[in-house]
This record gives sequence, C-alpha cells and structure tokens, in this order.
Amino acid sequence: MTRPVEVTPESITERFAASGFVCPPEVATALHLAEALGKPLLLEGPPGVGKTEIAKLWATFHDAELIRLQCYEGLDEAKALYEWSYGKQMLYAQLLRDKTSDVLAQAPDLGSAIAILRDEADAFFSRDFLLPRPLLQAILAKRPVVLLIDEVDRSDEEFEAFLLEVLSDHQVSIPELGTLKAASPPRVVLTSNDTRDLSDALRRRCLYAHVDYPSLDDEIRIVESRVPGIAAALTDRLVRFAQALRKADLKKAPGIAEVVDWALALTVVGADSLSASALRKTLGALLKNREDVERVLAEPGRYRG
Amino acid sequence: MIPALARFVDALRAEGVAVSSPEAVDAARALGLLGLERRETVRRALAATLAKDRTARAAFDRLFDRFFAPVRLPADGKGKGQPAGAKAGEKRKRRPEPPETSRHRSPSERESEKKARPGLRLRERRPKIVRAPKRRDPAPEPSRRELTRRMTTEEERTIAREVPRLVEALRLRPGRRRRQARAGRPWLRKALRRATATQGVPFVVPMQAPRRRAVRVVLLVDVSFSVARAAGLFLLLAGAFLEFGRRARVVCFVDRPVDATAAIARWMRGGVRAARPGGRARPGDGIVRGAVSFADVLTGIEGLNLDAPSDYGRTLHALTGARRGVRGRDVLLVVLGDGRANRLDPLPWAFEDLARGCGGVLWLVPEPAARWGTGDSALPLYLPSVDVLVEATDLAGLATGVAELRRRL
Repeated sequence: MTRPVEVTPESITERFAASGFVCPPEVATALHLAEALGKPLLLEGPPGVGKTEIAKLWATFHDAELIRLQCYEGLDEAKALYEWSYGKQMLYAQLLRDKTSDVLAQAPDLGSAIAILRDEADAFFSRDFLLPRPLLQAILAKRPVVLLIDEVDRSDEEFEAFLLEVLSDHQVSIPELGTLKAASPPRVVLTSNDTRDLSDALRRRCLYAHVDYPSLDDEIRIVESRVPGIAAALTDRLVRFAQALRKADLKKAPGIAEVVDWALALTVVGADSLSASALRKTLGALLKNREDVERVLAEPGRYRG
Repeated sequence: MIPALARFVDALRAEGVAVSSPEAVDAARALGLLGLERRETVRRALAATLAKDRTARAAFDRLFDRFFAPVRLPADGKGKGQPAGAKAGEKRKRRPEPPETSRHRSPSERESEKKARPGLRLRERRPKIVRAPKRRDPAPEPSRRELTRRMTTEEERTIAREVPRLVEALRLRPGRRRRQARAGRPWLRKALRRATATQGVPFVVPMQAPRRRAVRVVLLVDVSFSVARAAGLFLLLAGAFLEFGRRARVVCFVDRPVDATAAIARWMRGGVRAARPGGRARPGDGIVRGAVSFADVLTGIEGLNLDAPSDYGRTLHALTGARRGVRGRDVLLVVLGDGRANRLDPLPWAFEDLARGCGGVLWLVPEPAARWGTGDSALPLYLPSVDVLVEATDLAGLATGVAELRRRL
C-alpha cells in the first residue's frame, strides 16, 4: 500500500512522472482543484493523448479502486446504474416453491393470499438480487474509488442528463429500495474526445482541463521513459515525424501510445534511422488506416522535417 | 481580488462565455487554495473553473492577458508593486492594450511612418480617456441607464426627456477658455474686474489672444441597431451647440457613409414629417423631436441600409477617398460608435489617414470600458489616432462627450 501523499499540483506531477507519465501542468492543477473542491473533472482532447491513463494514475495516486464506465451510443440506466438479476430471482422462486405453498396454505381466501404475497415478494427485490453497475458500484463502495466515465461524448444526451443527478448529489433513486447515497463521494473523472458538444449543464458541474498532444520535448521524454535504451537521435527523429503527421490531414492522427508502440517496433527491427525500409516495416504500429499509410509511404520526406 | 475576479467574470460573459455563479464561486475558492503569487497558477486555476470548452478557452486566454498583465518591476527595485510601465507617483490608470498595428497597416503607411516628415505633428500614441463614474445603483436614474441594453420605447422616451435638462447643464459649464496674451484684442471683462482693485482705474488693460479660426465639426455617427439609440440622443445633445449645415456636418453610417446633414438639420428644426411605418419597435422610436422620432429620420435617409452589419473599414475607406473629404486643420472629427467591425477588415490605416488630415479626433464609445477591445471590437486599433476617448454608455456620458466637444469649438 502506498503511503498517502498530500495533494498538490507538484506532488501529482511527481507521482505521475514516477509512473512514466508526463502530466501537463493544467491537468495537475485541475486534479488538485477537483480533489479540494470535491468536483468531477472533465478531461477533453483528441484520442490517444492519455486521458484514460490520467484517471488510472489518479486511482493509483489515492490507492483507490478504479471503476470504469465506458460510454457508447445507446447506453442506458440499466447498463450504467443497476439491474435486477432476473435469472437469480427466477431460480430462487423455483427453489422456494414449496416454502411459498406452505406460506400461502395459511391463507383462507384469495385476498389474504395476495396480501401475504405482497409482504413476502419484497424479499425478491432486496439488495441480494441487485446487480450494481459501475455508477452504483461507485456509490455503494466502502473503500475510496475513482469513477472513470470514459468517452462521455459517445453517450446520448438523455444519458448525459441522467448523469447530472449522480454527479451533483452522489445519490441514485431505486424505486424498490429508495434513495441510495454515497457514504463518501467518489472521485469522478469524465473523458471526452470532443466529437460532440456536451451540454452546458454537465460542463458547469465539472472542472475542466483540455488535454492536447504533448510538446516535442515532453513527447521525447515520454518515449525515452517508455522505451529504455532507445537512441536519442532516433527518438528525436521519430517524435518529430509523428508530430508532423498530426499536423497533416490524416484520417486518424497518431496518439501517444501509438508513437510509443512505433518506437518499440523500430527498436525491435533494429532501425537506427527512419529509412524507407524501416518505415515500411513499422508504420503499421503508428498509423491504423491503410490510406494514411500509403499516403505517408508515398512521400515520407514531407514529414521528416 | 474578489472585485477583480467579478469584473473578469463579467468580461467573460460579455465575450459570450456563459459563466454561472457557482462556477465563479469555484474560481474564487480555487484562487484561495492556490494563491495569487504565480501568474500561471492563477491562469490554470481560473481556466479549470471558468473556461469549459475550447472556444471559451480562447476567449479566456485573450481576456486573461488583458486583465492580469504581468507586473514588471523597475531595474532598481524601487516602486515595487506599481503596475507595468507606471512611473512613481503617477496615478494608476487602466488602459486598453496598445494595438498590434503593423499587421493591419498598408505597406505605404508603414513606409511613411518610418520616415515621419519633419513638421508633421505626430499624435500621442495614447489618447486621453474620459471614464464614466462607477455605477452602483441597481435602478439608475434615466440619464444613467445603459443605452445599449434592451429597453422599451417608453423607457427610451423617459431617457430622451432628460435631454433638455442636460443641455441646460452643459450651457452653464465653461466652453473653451480664453487665453490672455501680450498682444491681441483688449479683454474688456477682465480689465473691468481687475480695475475694481484700483477703484475703477484700469492701470493695465489685459489683452486677449486672437480667436482661433472657427472649428468645423464632422460628426461621424454609427447608426447600426445596437448604437442607434445613443446616436439619436447624441445628435439631440450636440445639435444644441452646433448648427448643422453651416460649420457642422453629420455623416451617418452602417456599412457605408451617408451625408445626413440636411436630414438631421431638418429634424432639429422640426421640419420633417416622415410617414411612420408600423411594425416592431426600433431603437430611436422614443427619441422624438417635433413629432418625428429618430428612427423615422434614419429610415428617411436615402442610401442608408439599417439592416446591414456595420462595416467600419469600408466606411473609413470611403471617407478618405471622398471628394469633399474630412480634411483640414480646422476640422474636428467626432466619432460615435462602438468600433465593432463584425470581423470585417477594420482598416485602421484608413482611420489614421483621416485623423492625420484633421485637427483633432474625439471618439465617444457607447459601451462600457470593460468591453472595449473584446470580441469583434476593433477599437484598440483606432486608438492611436484618437485624441480624446469618452466612455459614453449613458446619456450623462454622452453629455460629457458633448462637453469635450464644446471645449474645442
């Protein structure tokens, strides 16, 4: 167990750096403020810049469990909050059939049988039959947790509106059980790839940090820390190449993870420069679209700087 | 810090960034946590709490740089805590940023600036700025109501009813001061007053400096929707001291300049009768003289397209090229407008050309100073050519502007 550390932007930067992550100062400040003000943090930026990674490291920082809710189109309350375990209810009802008959045998008429059933049926809608989904897990957790609501821009607007209650009051209402409130509010991190505008109401409830591609120096540091033993000259060249690719109008710009993968691939094939043959062998690690690969291989000189 | 933060939040809202009160409270708490010692920390704390998307962030960064300028200490360490560029003992004034002009000038302008001809009066880079007194009253009296706000025709009428009172107040204020000189005309009034000390015997007769040539005034008035109300009230006030058509011209503009001297002069005399088209209320409906509203006068001016977006660049360019242009040492150019060029090219060099051609430039801005230079405002680009800038957000502010105008007649 890691010892608790005082939360300051500096301590965050330091601990993240120890895990090989170069934390932008805006993000460190925003995380610190999120902790101090008890607010959710919304991280927005292009894909592949490490937004999810920040949430994971944030959980490690607090020695907390990370509960992740991956958003997608059509995600609804049942998948995000809770479900009744229908199968388990049916199974129990079957197994307890004899017991049920015994109980009902005491009833002289139909009306009193229904009254008995009404009292007893609540047993099937207790916590034993509740399947908590990520949001409820985070609220019911006894230990500190970090709730990551990933790619919230991919969910529907209805779901976004539903999130508001959870985010502002840290509680959910379940008709059969009443309102469940978090004993200690979970730390919440939301990420968005900025594919659509999130509602103002959601933005207002969160603190905000924009995470962009790292600067040249930062990215060189990232690659050096992730790929130990890589030649400095090669690192410099490959990072410049990747940064030039991001400025070009590609279908999918390479993220940081892809650059690291590419650096690993280059060391595996033993390349010491970005020659045409080395590019042809390894570019698949950097670019994940055939047209992009063909375009870059056609004139690699444009991106070598 | 809280008032500064509140002003900053206000300015952000004026830029279109919707900042809610809880967010402003968060910002204050964040500053309390992180301290104010380091500028970048303050920027990050405010950005995380106030600017919540990319467009908001762009506006935030622009405003932050303007609001929280880095403090530069003098080399000898004296005068610690003075704002950037202030000399010891100088009163602190907040001024708009000096504009980055070079990009917006024509090549010939930059050329001519390099070799400033000897004898040519170089204007002071920074104008005198006349600010409005601080407004605290939540329900201000009519003459202090902000004119660019939305208001009904009836409210407008209430404000317009204050015009005669302000005109009277202006008449009581001294106009241009006369100067004593060695030679000139005898100064009778002064001689009589001095002579009372010597029992009516005028031992010395003071002389009065010869009168300057009478000043010609050109009013360049933006009459686009947002400032039309201020324009109408300003013309009413100024009309009490100027005789339109003789030594004063009125040029109205929205997207191009139109000489409105005759129309405004007729309105002042109460001579026009414009047919009043029905429909929704327009700004200027409540500013009435001789049963004709200013809105009607504007509709009656030929060539004026009131629905166009205001275009400062085109207007100024047309004026520099006009045959009967605004030119002469005796010309006082008075501009009324918010300088909002709707992202069209503001052509500051055209204004500089105009300003250089005349004896003085007075600019009345019907917008609070906190919003100058924000959004699509090109005002800072025009500032170097302006002599006096007046914050005229309300009727009283307009009267201050007219007082400044009178001092130069």
